[in-house]
Parts: sequence; C-alpha cells; structure tokens
Amino acid sequence: MTEQLVVAPMLVALVTAVGTLLARDRLRLSGWLSLAGGVAYLVAVAALFRAVVPVAVLDGADASTAVLAYQLSGWPAPYGITLVADALSAFMLAIAAVVSLPVLAFAVRYVDEYGQRLSFHPLYHFLMLGVSGAFLTGDLFNLFVWFEVLLMASYVLVVFYGGPQHTSAALKYVVLNLVGGAFMLVAVGGLYATMGTLNMADMARRLADPGRYGVDPVPVLGLTAVLFAVFALKVGLVPFQFWVPSAYRAAPAPVAAVLAGVVKKVGVYAIVRVYFTVFGGGRVGTELALPGFAGESFLSYFGPIMLVLAAASILLGGLGAVGQDDLDGLLAYSSIGQIGFVVLPLAVGATAVDPTVRRLAVAAALVYALNHAVAKALLFLVSGALLDAVGTVDLRELGGVARVDPTLAAGFFLGALALVGIPPLSGFFGKLLVFDVAVRGGSDIALGLGLGGAILTIVYASLAWNRGFWGEPTEAVRRGTPGPALVAIVALLAVAVLAIGVGFDPVFEAAGAAADAALARGEYVDAVDPAEVSG
Amino acid sequence: MTEFVLAAVLGVLFAVGTFLLLRRDVVRVVWGVAIVSQSANVYLVTMGGLEGAAPIVAHGGGGGGATDPLVQALVLTAIVIGFGTTAFALVLTYRVYEEHGTIDVVDIAAGGVNGAEDPDASQGGDRDD
Repeated sequence: MTEQLVVAPMLVALVTAVGTLLARDRLRLSGWLSLAGGVAYLVAVAALFRAVVPVAVLDGADASTAVLAYQLSGWPAPYGITLVADALSAFMLAIAAVVSLPVLAFAVRYVDEYGQRLSFHPLYHFLMLGVSGAFLTGDLFNLFVWFEVLLMASYVLVVFYGGPQHTSAALKYVVLNLVGGAFMLVAVGGLYATMGTLNMADMARRLADPGRYGVDPVPVLGLTAVLFAVFALKVGLVPFQFWVPSAYRAAPAPVAAVLAGVVKKVGVYAIVRVYFTVFGGGRVGTELALPGFAGESFLSYFGPIMLVLAAASILLGGLGAVGQDDLDGLLAYSSIGQIGFVVLPLAVGATAVDPTVRRLAVAAALVYALNHAVAKALLFLVSGALLDAVGTVDLRELGGVARVDPTLAAGFFLGALALVGIPPLSGFFGKLLVFDVAVRGGSDIALGLGLGGAILTIVYASLAWNRGFWGEPTEAVRRGTPGPALVAIVALLAVAVLAIGVGFDPVFEAAGAAADAALARGEYVDAVDPAEVSG
Repeated sequence: MTEFVLAAVLGVLFAVGTFLLLRRDVVRVVWGVAIVSQSANVYLVTMGGLEGAAPIVAHGGGGGGATDPLVQALVLTAIVIGFGTTAFALVLTYRVYEEHGTIDVVDIAAGGVNGAEDPDASQGGDRDD
C-alpha cells in the first residue's frame, strides 16, 4: 500500500492542473482550487516523506530509511518505468512543497486577473508535476520527459507578460533549453547503446560489474560528461548561465521564486542522483589516463570539472550581483553564485576517498540547496511585493523601504542574512557545512573559494540593503504600500527561514539520511529490481 | 555500408543545425533547433542497431531477428515533444517580431525597434506593461 504513495505528489499536481484548466473561466474558483491543490501537494509530500524517513531518523536515532519503488502499470523493472522514492527524493520533494505553496499563495494575490484567467494556475501545477516526476523517476529517458514537461510550463511562465524584454528573454531560454534537450537525448541514446538499459538501478548494477554485462566503461564516462553539460545548463552553472539573469528578470516574481527555488534544485538533484548514485560505482581502469585527473572512478573525473564550474559560478555570480542596478538582476546573479556553493561541496566529495567526507559533502549540498531555495524564494517575493507597490525594483529609484514598510524590509533583511550565512538562520549551517567539507576534504582551493564567495555575498547583500531599504524613503517608495496579503506571505516565508535555522537538528538529520540514500547504491538497486539480487 | 552513410548523414545534419543556430535571423535559429533535435532523433534510432527486421511479431511468433523496438518507442516520445516545442518556438518567434519589430537577434538584444525608445526596457524595470 505504501508503494502507491510514491505517485501521490504527481497525481495531485496533475489533477490540480487539469482542474484549474477546466475552471479557468471562474477566477475565484480556480484560485481556491489551485491553493487547495498546493495544500494537497504538501500533504501528499508529507505523507510520502513520513513513509520513507521514519520520525526516529529525524530525532537522530540510528534508524534506516525506506526505499519505495512503484512499478508503473505493474511492469517489472527494468522493462517498465519505475518510480523510486528514497530519502533523497523525499528531501527534494519537501523543498519543492515547502517553497511552492507560499509562492502559489503569493501569486494568487500578485498575478493580475487576466493572467490568472489565462493560464497561470494550470501552468504552475504542470510545472510542479514535471518537478515531482523528475524527483521520483528511476529511468533516465523518463527523466528527460519530465524535464521537458517542466520546461514547457516554464517557457510559458517566463514569457508570461509578453512584453519586449520578456519575449527576448524567453527566446534565449527556450533555444538554449531545446538544444540542451537534444544533447540530453544524444547522451541518453548513447548510454542505452553502450549499457543496454535505461533503468537507473539497472545501469548502476551493470556499471558496478562491467565485465559480466559486457559494458565498456570508457564510452559511458564520455556520454555522462555530455549529460553533465545538460544538467549544468539546467542549474545555470557557468559557462551555461546565460539564460539565468534575463529569464529571472522577465518572469513574474512568483515564477522567478519557483524557478530559483525549485526548478534549479531539479538540476542539483539530477547531478547527485546520476553521478553519485548511478554512475558513482563506475571505474574506468588505468588505460584512460587523462592529464589533470587522478583516480579511476567516474567521480574522480567529475570532481575537478565540478570544482572549476563551481569556482567560476561563485566568482561570476558574486561579481555580477555586485554590479547590478536592479533587485531582480542582483538576485538572479546571486543565484548563479549560490548554485556554485551547492556544487562546491559536491566537487570536494566527488574526489574525496573517505566515505564520511563524501556523505557530509552530499548532505552539505542538500542543506545549502534547501537554504537557497527558501531564502531566494523569500527575496524574489519581496522584490515582487515592491514592484507591486512602488512600480519598480530599480535600486536607483528605491530607498528607505525600511521606514515605509518595516515588515517587508525585515523579510528582505532575513533573506539576505540567510544568503550571507548569519547564525541562527538556515544559511549559517549551509555555509558552515560547506567549509567543513572543504577542510575535511583537504581542499584549500575550495576553502578559499568559499571564503571569497562569502565575502562577495556580504558585499552585494549589504549593497542591496543600503541602496534599496536603508536611508530616506524616495518619492517612488513613499507613493505606494504593498498589499497586506503579500506582506503576510513574505513574513510567513521569513519565519520559515528562521525556523529552519533555529530547529536545524531534524533538517540536518534528514539531509544526512538523504545523503546516505544517495550513496547507498546497493539498497537503491535492490528496491527497484530485487529479482536479480540472488543471481 | 549503412553505418557509414548514416554516420555521415548525422554529421551533416548536426553541422547544418549548428550553422543555422548561429544565424542572426530568429526563424533560422528555430530551424536550427528543429534540425538539431531531429538529428538527435535519427541518432537515437541508430542506437538500437541497424540489423534486424521490423519489430513486428505475429500471433504466436517468436521475436528472433527483430531490431530493438525500445529506441523506436523512445524516438516516438521525443518526436512528439519536439513537435510541441518547435510549435511553441515558432509562436514565440512571431511574438518576438510583434514586440520588437524585427527578428534579427542582434537588434533584439539591443532593444529592438520598439525597445529603442526606452533603453531601460531591457533592464526589466517595469514588468506590468
């Protein structure tokens, strides 16, 4: 019975999407339906989370998490498509649910009537459907399909206002992602030809014992590198970051919040799942001696690549954010840098030999991803509320918001402090864990990068605060105050940022359990396809 | 022989697609996207192996000698997705033309005909218009 829970988040999102589509002529009804769907999604994810991660784990007790596998239509793996929910999937789904509900509530008050009547709610829930599918699928081609589902919804959401800068931003976003999709198809096809399967658990099994299944690991390594480029495009790592600033500026504030908070985390999840769980057991032997790479495992090849991309993202994102004149642009560049911070511990963990360091690295990346999701969603919503009230988010025209609207300014302050990493906010633990991983992994480069990136974060966060929120209120700021509902939702998310930091213990235990699940290749394979365990 | 021909065709297709992607004309860029994704589909079909008969099995018949049907199922899915996204890209192109009065990528990046009056428009200052 609990296996059926795996499909629950996807079913809820799908039913809500179709329901709001049917009810779109009745504005109030579709709005309430959409909110009810958001709540139901949160409930479904919570139920799945409880089924996968026992409460004892969150208390720090030594209990094991479950891996639930649901074979669609009863076709057994590896022939059918399997949906798998383990602690890692559950953790990512929890991020998605926690961020998406307040953002949706914000959108109901924020997006204009015409937009809501047009298509906002169905698109939002189709986006969540794609996100949930990507988190749950256990099949590489199916992952491509869910990527396309969420991208298709996000294309329309980015171009939602249809003005000049929105269309040009969407064009960039669409073309880059379509090319990325084609490359993902090439990588998936090549992997099928070399490995003879697309089921992730089956791939992991074959790669762990290549001789028995007649798999040549060297071309597999090359094809996974192509796949990595696609995932890097989805998360917006340098040099694949070109679409990020314009798309986040063009999208309505709630959409930018969900793109930064949830959709980017799909890419993070894909990197952890595919490179640490599925291909983590691959070894290429010594015949492939590339200059600059040491070690035989797949991860020892991806570690240096991740380190370079993370370094470039942290620096370019941080420097780009410092130079921005509008708040949305600043937040967009900041999210490039913050994703660098998520990938940095993964890079250290990939090259680490010590399994405890690798576990801590994955946990650090997940904690950081959670912190970035909540804090960045909060900041984008503040920016949206400001745009709603003042009519601009240009920092040259803002100023003194703290005096006119202290709650909104407090929300921004908390979000910015969470990005910087001030205790007791969630960001502090994220940064602490990243530095801890860098020290334990013995990577001075990662440590230096982390410090440099942290300083850049302080610079742009305080710049934004000083220019936009401190000082004398400008004429534009004096004119309008944001709606109380919008401010209330911002305050709610700010409390969530605070709560994650104050009650950090269960969050850390959950992230640790997720990291264990990501690295427990054997349990993942057994849960999906137990038939061959004895063989 | 078929392998070499197909490999050459795939190379040419990817080259043409890449060439079109790098044009300044948005319509050609969309053509480039379509060609790149279609060449990915052709590539995917060849990944199932080129030998073997059509994977049609009669009632009670064995499955011997048939080519891999899975890649064909994958390609069908990919074609449908590609169809939808290409249609969207074309509609978006038209909308870009309506908003900017041009389909030249360089002009669009510079603000376009409409955006030229308002240099701040590309900065995303006001999104409520």
